[in-house]
Order: sequence, then structure tokens, then C-alpha cells
Amino acid sequence: MVVGDIATGTEVLVIGAGPGGYVAAIRAAQEGLDTTLVEKDAYGGACLNRGCIPSKALITGSGLAHEAGNAESMGIHADPAVDMGKMVEWKDGVVDRLTGGVEKLCKANGVNLIEGTASFADAHTARVAHGGEGQGSESIEFEHAIVATGSRPIQIPGFDFAEDHVWSSAEALDAKTVPDRLGIVGGGYIGMELATTYAKLGSDVTVVEMLDDILDPYEDDVKRIVRKRAEELGVEFHFGEGASEWSEGADGGYLLHTETEDGDESTYGVDKVLVAVGRRPVTDGLDLEQAGVETDDRGFIETDDRTRTAVDHVHAVGDVAGDPMLAHAASKEGIVAAEVIAGEPAALDQQAIPAAVFTDPEIGTVGLTEDEAEAEGFDPVVGEMPFNASGRAMTTGHTEGFVRLVADDETGFVLGAQIVGPEASELIAEAALAIEMGATLEDVAATVHTHPTLAEAVMEAAENARGQAIHTLNR
Amino acid sequence: MPVKEFKLPDVGEGVAEGELVTWLVAPGDRVEEDQAVAEVETDKALVEVPSRYDGTVEELFVEEGEIVPVGDVIISFRVGEDGDGGGTEGEATGEPTGDSDAGATESATGASAEAESEADAEEPATPSGRTFAPPSARRLARELGVDIAAVDGSGPGGRISEADVRAHAEDDGDSDDGPSVKSASDAPDPKPAPTPTDSGSSGRKSAVKKRGGSGAGSGSEAAATASTGAAAPGPAGRETTLATPATRKVARELGVDIDDVPTDETRDGEAFVTGEDVRAYAEAPESAGEAAEASADASAPEPKSVDVSTSADAAGATGASPASESVSTDETVPYRGVRRTIGKQMERSKYTAPHVTHHDTVAVDALVEAREELKPRAEEQGVNLTYMPFVMKAIVAGLKEYPSLNSELREDEEEIVLKGDYNLGIAVATDAGLMVPVVENVDEKGLFELAEEVRDLASRARERELKPAEMKGGTFSITNFGAIGGEYATPIINYPETAILGLGAIEERPVARDGEVVAAPTLPLSLSIDHRVIDGAVAAEFANTVMEHLEHPLLLLTH
Ligand SMILES: Cc1cc2nc3c(=O)[nH]c(=O)nc-3n(C[C@H](O)[C@H](O)[C@H](O)COP(=O)(O)OP(=O)(O)OC[C@H]3O[C@@H](n4cnc5c(N)ncnc54)[C@H](O)[C@@H]3O)c2cc1C
Repeated sequence: MVVGDIATGTEVLVIGAGPGGYVAAIRAAQEGLDTTLVEKDAYGGACLNRGCIPSKALITGSGLAHEAGNAESMGIHADPAVDMGKMVEWKDGVVDRLTGGVEKLCKANGVNLIEGTASFADAHTARVAHGGEGQGSESIEFEHAIVATGSRPIQIPGFDFAEDHVWSSAEALDAKTVPDRLGIVGGGYIGMELATTYAKLGSDVTVVEMLDDILDPYEDDVKRIVRKRAEELGVEFHFGEGASEWSEGADGGYLLHTETEDGDESTYGVDKVLVAVGRRPVTDGLDLEQAGVETDDRGFIETDDRTRTAVDHVHAVGDVAGDPMLAHAASKEGIVAAEVIAGEPAALDQQAIPAAVFTDPEIGTVGLTEDEAEAEGFDPVVGEMPFNASGRAMTTGHTEGFVRLVADDETGFVLGAQIVGPEASELIAEAALAIEMGATLEDVAATVHTHPTLAEAVMEAAENARGQAIHTLNR
Repeated sequence: MPVKEFKLPDVGEGVAEGELVTWLVAPGDRVEEDQAVAEVETDKALVEVPSRYDGTVEELFVEEGEIVPVGDVIISFRVGEDGDGGGTEGEATGEPTGDSDAGATESATGASAEAESEADAEEPATPSGRTFAPPSARRLARELGVDIAAVDGSGPGGRISEADVRAHAEDDGDSDDGPSVKSASDAPDPKPAPTPTDSGSSGRKSAVKKRGGSGAGSGSEAAATASTGAAAPGPAGRETTLATPATRKVARELGVDIDDVPTDETRDGEAFVTGEDVRAYAEAPESAGEAAEASADASAPEPKSVDVSTSADAAGATGASPASESVSTDETVPYRGVRRTIGKQMERSKYTAPHVTHHDTVAVDALVEAREELKPRAEEQGVNLTYMPFVMKAIVAGLKEYPSLNSELREDEEEIVLKGDYNLGIAVATDAGLMVPVVENVDEKGLFELAEEVRDLASRARERELKPAEMKGGTFSITNFGAIGGEYATPIINYPETAILGLGAIEERPVARDGEVVAAPTLPLSLSIDHRVIDGAVAAEFANTVMEHLEHPLLLLTH
């Protein structure tokens, strides 16, 4: 006759308040579901507290200082002094506003917020341990759970983040002073964004990367432009070398030791070492197995196109559910998870997820490259517009890079775009819209774009692919 | 007129077979394309199988109740003069381009019928199966259960618009979309169409709690309508109301705020409302005509009429048929939250423990007297003495003698744990559903103490203020359904306990005494046991001991 014990009950339990979790919670609440969001640390997750937002703040700050000091050709003579402590304080202010906003939004939408660390007791119960010794814990019965516990930086042997001079991206975004010499292990997007930032702030930056180029997933011509510009900024690259250990240097600094595959060793003098070799999912302490959820051999939770794990009522979104480990992907997954739970016909059916790298210049990509399109069986046609042919690009002083559109020759459907150049992170949105809408090259080319803007380059690239470009030679 | 065979289509989700629950058509019936012909239940859902053809049902190959593997022929149709001729008479393999020979009457038996092959032949428009359609069209396709890869795009390059998806949905006799899913529990369902009883609130998801005042809204709506009826009593507007979960469900369905339903009855000093009260209150303002129509609908269902599916798929088909009868008045209520927790718990208990229920009745003249005598004394101490503490004490007496009823079976460890404590769970009906707070160490407590503790636990259960710990550790449970009415029940054991005692209402009933039938207060008992652990004889002996103590309450002093 009986229900056993009923602890606090909720229809949807969301674990982790990053861009995956808080978005899921808000949408679930909007759907009329009784929703509880548990966060052990800070609202907004990695993205708002030690990822996307802080890094973009410092990238803008360092960029502004650098631009101002390097604009003699425009007749500007300045030697900006950077107060790093103040810049980080300003960044913290931005972060506080945003995380405060997340908390307010959750409350305004009726999400129950609980601070603490959640773990699964069984398939329908979670325990939440409140921070601190003796703070107690509570159990929450849920009908559906959304795991959004995110990821953390990978630590490599010999480089303990507990050491003062060993940084993860989090410390690099919280430094009160600019190190004279910064060694960076890893030439991925986080390493490259911070390499650019610190180079502009005046550090001597050395990047060691095991592979033979930076930014592994990108095309060669894209990488080349970013690498060349970084070298101009004084960043030194050492490819094919892996960091092996550090030792104390004679000058009060440290020595970063590296090794090639063949065993050749090198050392570089540094004051701080930033380790940015990737991120791995946070599932420890979650007791996923209590809910019957398993992780793959890399620790990620496998999900289907409705964000469901092997256990139907447990969903996983964001970094913990694997690639692409991006904030907007996490949010989209969060929305789908909430809608699926609410019984809506939602699914992760997007054609493509855009990605941006905030280096100098920026990279924005979405969908298929020419090679990928060919591999998928399309007959790709490509159109390009270099920024050095763009009037607006010239007036910004940044003409490196290009817009490239990839389309299906037969039907004209836009399949992908690669943009490297000023504001590429913004420009990619138009290409994403085109792909998602099933727009053709003609649709993009025939859409009137404002002059003079960088966005005209997208229209020009479409015209170029159709052999009708005005400002470039048609291929 | 060719005969087309139709196989049980793949209903998705890796389901390999289904039980043919109901035929919705019989041989000779005319069917339209997309009309549901059968209901098939898989372990995931009850699905309707739509006809793929316009025509007449030729033969049914499967009996109701039979388990059918996906791909088996279940029905054949005689279709209209749309064949292209040239087929061979008697082959009847159900090829889409079958013959049109009017003489063919033989039943189809070809196991190789490929009725679905038509749709398979449709090729995706682009390499790698990718379809070009905006997100809105893709979502619509999912909503309508349309495979977007099968939709013909009318836009440039074959881009699919929402209109294309709709056109395909209305015209998908050729598609392989499969049957429309009516009640899949996890796959995103097509949104249920609003039903006449829908109170118009926007929150549709939760049976547990609806936010945004929708509950209050529908209540006041109902109240407003009610007050327009001349004979309608005004809303009672109480703070709290006692009612069984079933009554609360009725109230929810009728959009009635249970606190507004007038009643003279009380239980434990609180207003008590029955399902009839709720219905009477809800129907009061309705016109006689409406009521008559409703009851006519209910009493004279068309025996073979096609159930109106709420799915968008079937909407087209039903739109074409005369809309006179068969407007469904069913309402779909989500199976979620506490409702489902209760359900799961019941399911687990009932499917794990083989239940046997033993019934008996005990005359309780002496008990009634004893309580009457003690009641004023209890009141002096501020305690409302019910019969419950006596029953609890009597149960403890029984459990001491027959410890196997105070036990737990640990299947994995292959051991039966005979509990050392006497912790009795008391089932309490609350707004949120059934809860079972536990009174610990009943053997060590006095009658008044027990009475007070039961009252406290029950009232806090209704307020949902119980702590989880207060619902744990029970060794035996009591369900007092008699408080609402009735004599006997077949209670479900509070698993992993092994026994539960149900109490009927204490009322005067005919009793044979010294060869004469006299009226005496009796208490009907319903004892369910887990027959894996407890034998029927032991259960009966336990019941005898309990009854003996209730018949002669002085015996309770000996414990
Ligand atoms: C330096 C840097 C720059 C980045 N820049 C970008 C960018 O420009 N664009 C972009 O798209 N992405 C960027 N990212 C990636 C982005 O931050 C992540 O993809 C995103 O934060 C993932 O969101 P999430 O919700 O999956 O997890 P997270 O944001 O990691 O949030 C997970 C949350 O769960 C909490 N949590 C974990 N376990 C528990 C538990 N057991 N109980 C309760 N709470 C728990 C954590 O405290 C955390 O708040 C960047 C990352 C870094 C490090």
C-alpha cells in the first residue's frame, strides 16, 4: 500500500550550473516542471567563472592595450601601462554581474537552487552534501536527472596545479601580475588564446606542442595565419616536444624541460608554466554507477540524440557528455534535455555547431570543410573572399585572413564555412544560420549586406563560389 | 481488385514483437488509408497500426491476444480499382503494384509480402542521407512523426519547408513512418490534443505540482461556473479537505478545487469529500441536455467504432469521417511523481511477493466498551483515543507469537530476517498520495502514547512534513481503509515487509450468537502475506491471535 520514504522530491534534478545545467534548469522550469539545480561551486560553471568570459575579458583588455601601443601608422602614439591587478578586478566585476544574473534568472523562473555536491544514491535518488565539514546532506528524489558536471583541466605528470608557478587556465585568468616569461604546454585553442593574451601583455611566451602545429583540428591555411601572427607578437613555438618536468633555474625562475619522441631534450627559462593540454570530464564522486550510468573509456557519458544516457530518465549534457566541449553546445543540449523530459519533440538535430577561437586574428568555423564535404559524398564548390579585399577590414587595420564558404555544387546548399580574420567569431553566425536554414549560395549572395562591413565578405564568398564575385577574381 | 497484405510494421525502439490487443476492424469493414485497424502493445507502448490502403478488410490472420513478431502478416485488404493490371491472379503477394483482377478472393498467405518496400525505395535527396530543411521544419517532422528524409522538398535544390512536411504527413500512406505511437513512455510523444475536460491551464506536464497558479485558476473557473447555476451550492472555500487520492484525481480531472466542494461529512474532525460530492458539485451548473448527451455517449459505445486517436497522424483521417459520434472524452494524465513512485512500489511488491489475503471478522463489543471507558480519561490528557492503538497492540501480540509476519526476506542473501523491533507502518492517504509513517517500538508504548503518535504522524503526513526517517524502518504495516468505508480489501504488502493488515469499518453487523442473529459491532480484517515466507496456516493463526486480543481487550494487559 505504500510509498517508502519520500525525501525532498523533484521532477527534474540538474547537477551542475554551467551553461549546460543552468540553461536546462531554466527551460525545464519554463516547461512547468518542478526543477532543482545543484551547484557545488559557482553559478555559471567553468564558462562564466574561469573559461569563456574571463578569457574574453582579458583578451579584449590585452588587445586594447596592444592596439593602442601599435597604431603609429594611424598616427596614434601611446605606450599604455597595464595594471594587471586592475584588469583582473574589472574582469571579476564582469563575471560577478553575469553569475549573479544566472542566479537571478534561475530564481525568477522558479528553479529551486541548492548549493552542494551531488552524487547518485540510486536511479531515482541523489544525495547532496553541503559544503564544509558537518554541514550535513540531504537526499533528493527525482524523476529525471540531467548531469551537467562539466570538465576540468587535465593535469600532466610532473606539473602539479598546486604549485605556485604551475598554472591551469583558471590561474592564468586570475593572475595579479604579468609573468616576464610564460611557458605554455599545449597549442590548442586555450593555449593559443592565452599565448596571444600574455604576449600582448608583454610576456615572453614559449609554446611547446607535441604535434607539429598548433590548433590541431583546423585547416592548414587557417593555422598558418594565426601562427604567423603569434610569431609576430613574439611567441616562440617548439613543435614535436612534450613537457617532461620543471626544475628551479639559477635566475630565481624555473626551467621547463621538454623531450622529443626521439629523446632529444631541451629546456626553456620561464617564470610560470601554463598547462593547457585539454580538459577531461568531471564524473568522480558522482557515483554514476548507482544510477546505472556508465562512462566511456575517456570518462565521458555517452548520450543519444535526445541527450539520454543508457538510463532513459538520466540525461547528460555539456562537456561531461563529450565533444564538442563548447559552452553553446552545452546550452543547446541542456535545452533539448529539458524539452525531451517535458515530452516535447526535441532532438539534437542541428546540422552543425559553430566554434570560435579568440586568437589574433580570430577563427570561426561551422559545418564541413571542403575535404569533409567530399568525404561525405558531396561535390563541393568553394568560394573565398580575402579580407585584404574588404574595405572595412582595411579601415580596422586588420586585413589578414579570409572567409571561405563550402557548398554542394549540385544543389547550392551551404555546407560549411571557415573564417579567419577580424571578428570571425561574430561573422560565423551568419554562415551557421545559412547552414541551419538550408540556404543556398544564391540565397546568401542575394541577401543584401550592409556596406562597409566585414560581413560583406560572407556575401562576396558566396558570389565567388558562384563565379559572380565583384571584388575578387572568380575562380 | 487486388488483395494487399499488411505486415506488422517495425514500431521502432528495437521492439521485435507485440501483442495484438484489439482488432479495430472486422472482415468486410471498409477502411480508409491511415485508419487505425489494430492496437498492438509492445513492452514500450500501446500503438495503433494504421491501414496503408483504402479498401475492404479481407482477412485477419492473428487472434486478439496473440504475440506477433514484427514482419508477420496480420491482415489483408481488398483495395479499389487502382491497380495497374497485368498481375497474376492468385499471387496476392501484396506488391504495391499488384494486379487488379476482380476475381481474386483467395486469402493471402505469402510470407514474403513486401508491403513496405515502396517507401524503402524512396531515396534521400542528397548524399550521406542529409536533408536540407530549417530547424522549424525538422521539429515539425518529429512532432508529426514524419521521417524527414522521406519528404519531398519543394524549395530550391529540394529544400524542405514546413508545408512540405505537412503535406507529407497528410499523405503518408506510402511512407514507412509506421504506426502512430499513442503512449510511449519515454520517446517524445506528439503533444496530446486538448480534450474537452482540459481546464485550459498551460502547465501540462506535472501530475505532482503545477506552477503558476494554474491549479488555483482552474478551481476558481469552476467555482465561477458553479455559481451561475441556480441550484448550485456556493464554493465551500475550506483551507484543507480530506479525500481519497481517487477523489482528488476526479477533482483534478473536472477542474474542481476540492476545498470548494461542499460536504457535511467529517473524518478526524476535518471535512471529508467523496468522489460523488465532487461530481455533483462539478455537474450542478450543467444543462440537462449536456448531461443526457454525456451519459448516452457513455452507455452506448459503438462496438467496432474506430477509436479516435489523439495523434496528429490520425487527425487527417478522422477529419474526413463524420464527426458525429466518437469524440473522445478521455483525458491523459501524466504518470509521474508520487503517483509513479507509488505505482513502482506497488508493482515491485505485487510482482515480487506472491500475495495471499486472509479475511476474517471479529466481534468487538468488549473493545467498543473498553474504548468508551477509556476515552474520557484520554481526553483529560488531551488525547483522542481511536481504535488504532488497540489494534496495534493486538498485532504486536500476534507478531510475538508468529515472528515470521514481522520479517523481511533478503532474496540475495537467501535469508529471512525476523525483526527484533515492532515498528508498525500506518498507511495515510494524503494529497500527494499514500504515505506510510512508522510508529516505532509499539510494544513499549502505552495506548494513549500510541494514539497521540499516530495522530501526529498522520497529520504531518498530510502536511507533507514528515522526515524521510519517519517513514523508514517499518516491520509490519496497517492500512485502515475502513476509515473511508468498506469491509474487506486485498492490501498490497509494504515491500520488503512480509505482511500487512487491512482494517474494515467497525460497524454493527449481523452476528450469530447462541443460535440467533444479533447486531454486534464487528471489525473485518484483511491480512495479506508474502506466501514465500509465511504459510496460509500461520497467517490464519496470527489472525486468530489478533482477533482474540481484540475480542478480549483485557488480554492486552498481559503484554
Ligand atoms: C579558458 C577557457 C576558455 C573557454 N572559452 C570558451 C569559448 O570561448 N567558447 C566556448 O564555447 N567554450 C569555451 N570554453 C569551454 C566552456 O567553458 C565549456 O564548454 C562549458 O563551460 C561547458 O559547460 P558545462 O555546463 O558542460 O560545464 P561547466 O561549465 O564546467 O559547469 C559544470 C558545473 O558543475 C559543477 N559541478 C560539478 N560536479 C558537481 C557535483 N557533483 N555537484 C554539484 N555541482 C557540480 C561545477 O562546479 C561547475 O560549476 C572555455 C573553457 C576554458 C577553460
